[in-house]
Amino acid sequence: MAEISFPLPDLGEGLIEATVLEWLVAPGDQVERNQPLVEVETTKSAVELPSPQAGKVVRIHGGPGDKINVGEPLIVFEVPDNTAGIVGTVPKEEAPKRRVRLSAVLDED
Amino acid sequence: MTGFRQAQSPDAKSPEAQSPDAPSPDPEAPAGSHTVTLSMQQALNRALDEVLAENPRAVIFGEDCGRLGGVFRITDGLQAKHGASRVFDTPLAESGILGMSVGLAMAGFHPIPEVQFDGFAYPAINQIVCQMARMNYRSRGALPMPITLRVPSFGGIRAPEHHSESLEALFAHVPGLKVVSPSNPHEAYHLLKYAATRPDPVIFMEPKSRYWQKGDVDLRAADTPDAGPPTGAKVMRHGRHITLVAWGAMVARCLQVADLAAEDGIDVEVLDLRWLKPIDAEALVASVRKTRRAVVVHEAPLTSGLGAEVAQLITQGCFDTLKAPVERVTGFDVPYPSGDLEDEYIPNIDRILFGIQRVLEYRRG
Repeated sequence: MAEISFPLPDLGEGLIEATVLEWLVAPGDQVERNQPLVEVETTKSAVELPSPQAGKVVRIHGGPGDKINVGEPLIVFEVPDNTAGIVGTVPKEEAPKRRVRLSAVLDED
Repeated sequence: MTGFRQAQSPDAKSPEAQSPDAPSPDPEAPAGSHTVTLSMQQALNRALDEVLAENPRAVIFGEDCGRLGGVFRITDGLQAKHGASRVFDTPLAESGILGMSVGLAMAGFHPIPEVQFDGFAYPAINQIVCQMARMNYRSRGALPMPITLRVPSFGGIRAPEHHSESLEALFAHVPGLKVVSPSNPHEAYHLLKYAATRPDPVIFMEPKSRYWQKGDVDLRAADTPDAGPPTGAKVMRHGRHITLVAWGAMVARCLQVADLAAEDGIDVEVLDLRWLKPIDAEALVASVRKTRRAVVVHEAPLTSGLGAEVAQLITQGCFDTLKAPVERVTGFDVPYPSGDLEDEYIPNIDRILFGIQRVLEYRRG
């Protein structure tokens, strides 16, 4: 397994830090991509940060009320070695589905 | 198979050559068996490991290829095993990666660079087309370019823009380049080992949506007298009524379609083209002279895609026996879409079945 750290992203408009309001996940949780991770407050607004990827939460940084600077570690995920670092999603192997049926008279000339 | 020159450099080995320091067969394999089950990731990794062990002039580099082992883990562990002078990271600059490859090849090395994603090859087109592809020609053979450029290619993994391109027609159009794409772990292992022994530059297009699927790899196959070197196309399923021509990730899909067509009484042959430059016209014609019908399937856009070239080669060789014009089932003439629309863009099972139906229904006059 490999660990991937996700830093606090640039939340825009020149903001350099954010305050943790509430963690929505805990270490040990399996999260999906885009699942809300944490609610943070900036001088502009309170926002929920979606997860950039699927994985198991290993560590979270900062409790409610703590300030985190942009670029500092926010959360660390654990992912299987063979998917660490990929851009995109590992495709699932699915049973083939069809709607089209073939009909043909095959002349054997 | 024409178009392949034998290696001129004393360092290039024939695929039959076995070095004593080559890695031994997998210890996990049952005794006496030369077949192991690997994902395409693992098969490519193993091939690169063996190439490094067998050829002291082989070097591997690219973005994240060294310490991380590549974003797709294809070079995983190779830097630790073979050292940072043979497997190393480069700056994020594809023109530099390919420019360095050309220079290293001129100095007698056998570079195996990686461009991390197909869409990142565009910044290196000048080095690929104007230097790498023609240096051998320009120098009248004094400066061969034994470069194997690995490019994770095609779509299917819900990646953002520039990560899902199909560049085979672009590369195949450039004189001096060879282009190949494996369809499963066995092909990946043997085609990469073979490509890395060629004296000519080879664009090695890895279908990234197939990286994780496992399959049996017969480690000996390329060395057996029956199989010969992995040049040309390969029939992946024999059939009587129609030939599906595909490469890369589309081969697996065509094999699924062949199973479904069999339920309807249609016996489909699936031809894996493997080499996209040069194309194995002999194998194409042999298959379609038997089935008398053909559909070519690719992810790349329709217009001026390789499907047109395939259709012409079939028409040229089978005009008198063809039952219907060759059909093409392809991506659309649009930039590769975002992940949510990917399943509509890439030829799916129903679109391929429709293509077969159009050919079966065709009547002259």
